[in-house]
Amino acid sequence: MSMTNRLKVDRRDGKLVMAHFYVAFISLAIGGLAGLLQVLVRSGMFVLPAGIGYYQLLTLHGVVLALVLTTYFIMGFQIAAVSRTSGTLTSKQRKIGWTGFVIMTIGTILAAVMILLNEATVLYTFYAPLQAHSIFYIGLTLVIVGSWLGSAVILLKYRQWRKENHKQTSPLITFMAVVNSIMWIVATIGVAATVLLQLLPWSLGLVETINVGVSRTLFWYFGHPLVYFWLLPAYMAWYVIIPKIIGAKIFSDSLARFSFILFLLFSIPVGFHHQLMEPGIDASWKFIQVVLTFLVIIPSLMTAFSLFATFESYGRSKGAKGLFGWFKKLPWKDARFVVPFIGMVAFIPGGAGGIINASNQMNQVVHNTIWVTGHFHLTVATAVLLTFFGISYWLIPHLTGRTLTKAMNNLAITQGILWAVGMTFMSGAMHAAGLLGAPRRSSFSEYGGASIAAEWIPYQVAQAVGGSILFLSIILMLYIIINLAFFAPKGEQDFPIGEIAETAEKTPKILENWKIWIGITVLLILFAYTIPFIDMFHHAPPGSKGYKLW
Amino acid sequence: MAQTQKSEIQDEKVEKEPTLLGAFTAVMIVGLFIIITWAGVFILFNQRF
Repeated sequence: MSMTNRLKVDRRDGKLVMAHFYVAFISLAIGGLAGLLQVLVRSGMFVLPAGIGYYQLLTLHGVVLALVLTTYFIMGFQIAAVSRTSGTLTSKQRKIGWTGFVIMTIGTILAAVMILLNEATVLYTFYAPLQAHSIFYIGLTLVIVGSWLGSAVILLKYRQWRKENHKQTSPLITFMAVVNSIMWIVATIGVAATVLLQLLPWSLGLVETINVGVSRTLFWYFGHPLVYFWLLPAYMAWYVIIPKIIGAKIFSDSLARFSFILFLLFSIPVGFHHQLMEPGIDASWKFIQVVLTFLVIIPSLMTAFSLFATFESYGRSKGAKGLFGWFKKLPWKDARFVVPFIGMVAFIPGGAGGIINASNQMNQVVHNTIWVTGHFHLTVATAVLLTFFGISYWLIPHLTGRTLTKAMNNLAITQGILWAVGMTFMSGAMHAAGLLGAPRRSSFSEYGGASIAAEWIPYQVAQAVGGSILFLSIILMLYIIINLAFFAPKGEQDFPIGEIAETAEKTPKILENWKIWIGITVLLILFAYTIPFIDMFHHAPPGSKGYKLW
Repeated sequence: MAQTQKSEIQDEKVEKEPTLLGAFTAVMIVGLFIIITWAGVFILFNQRF
């Protein structure tokens, strides 16, 4: 690590990070409440008051949690991590960061107002031909543009560090933030294209029809790397921060960097695995993208091995015996470890479900069923989110000059356990009902008394039980966050950054040769998408006019 | 002489290599879990389509 490696995030950078976190946790409160109401409606025992629509609520839940909470938290966390390991931001970089924050926030407010006015009930995927008010699309565009500025801060700081530390290996977590930022910029070009070139002119009435296939393809060109954009910051914490918290060393710097490079290469040219049931895409191209999707399993298993190796090395250094004796030596009373650890465990069934989803023909079993909802509540809403919570438990006091007290630590562990219990009920019931054919996205219905639909109802009640427990966990989380931000005792809370194990090999220089990695990324994208896109334009069906089905 | 030193360093490196049998077994268990779940849904797929 370099000499510029600071132990503390500068207060001015801290304020920028905290601004992001406030929006993220307000989103958690709003989105969590929407989620609770949804599961209650789907149990068949509750009717929404005051003319609130189920699908309006579903749109709100998806947008504020999957798009707003995640993006703000990630931007904030990455800025904090880079400021901590590569040095305080320059005033110009900080200004860019604040400009990005303001633009994102204006966009978020515009989109949220349109959803609340029931002018944009198009769900968080905003699939055409559902047509929202043009201001909703303008709001989304601003969120993306703002996030580009947030990413630019990371890239500028990294470039500055490299200039000042010629030929040295960059701090690992900065490198990881750079990979995630590059992936985000490359991916969001797709969603920016569909919003600016298709959805916005169409919603403004400048064009009458839209090519639905192209818009969905551009959305999923963005949509799959989006899930890795959520996941990689969790991996940053698992690779770099967790080892320090447990008192161990990072198993291998090269392995961590290489797995991130693989994510950059294989996260983007894989969007078709979300469109396996759609017409207009040749089966052979779907197959190619399925193969590329399966390549992403490799870095995930590398991560699993690296984590187990870190845990085992630590346990053995503490005298652990037997095959799994090291497991007991882990710090089971430290929320900074336990909460993300629950997330790691959830990622095992989450990942296994993902492989099933992406398995071409097998997608027919689960496509558009609530299995898929169960899947991403394990991945993003447990593996990723609990890691983000675990990070918040030390990062927020670090930034506000306070400490995580023993009482708050214990409450945080309770929060994590409640989440695990709630999610086991909710996501488990979603997976099971999905295998029985229960549709996702739909409100409560008995489907005219059909016997197959009657089978789903007990699972929907179980989802409501799980969802209610999760909501309790959210309340607990918000209580802890408010305490850590405003009321916890003043003091110094450590920002843990792991050190590389002595036994690790030297990191090869090629891992920071961006010309190679960005070059291969672009080539893979061109390979996976050029011919299918030509087909979509060449054999374009008649365009569709806009629909407002709410 | 130089060669002896080199082999000593190598020996030291080999000695320092941590035992990771537990990590290896844990990853194999994860792999097995993935295969079993996948096979379960594959059986459903075969029954239905």
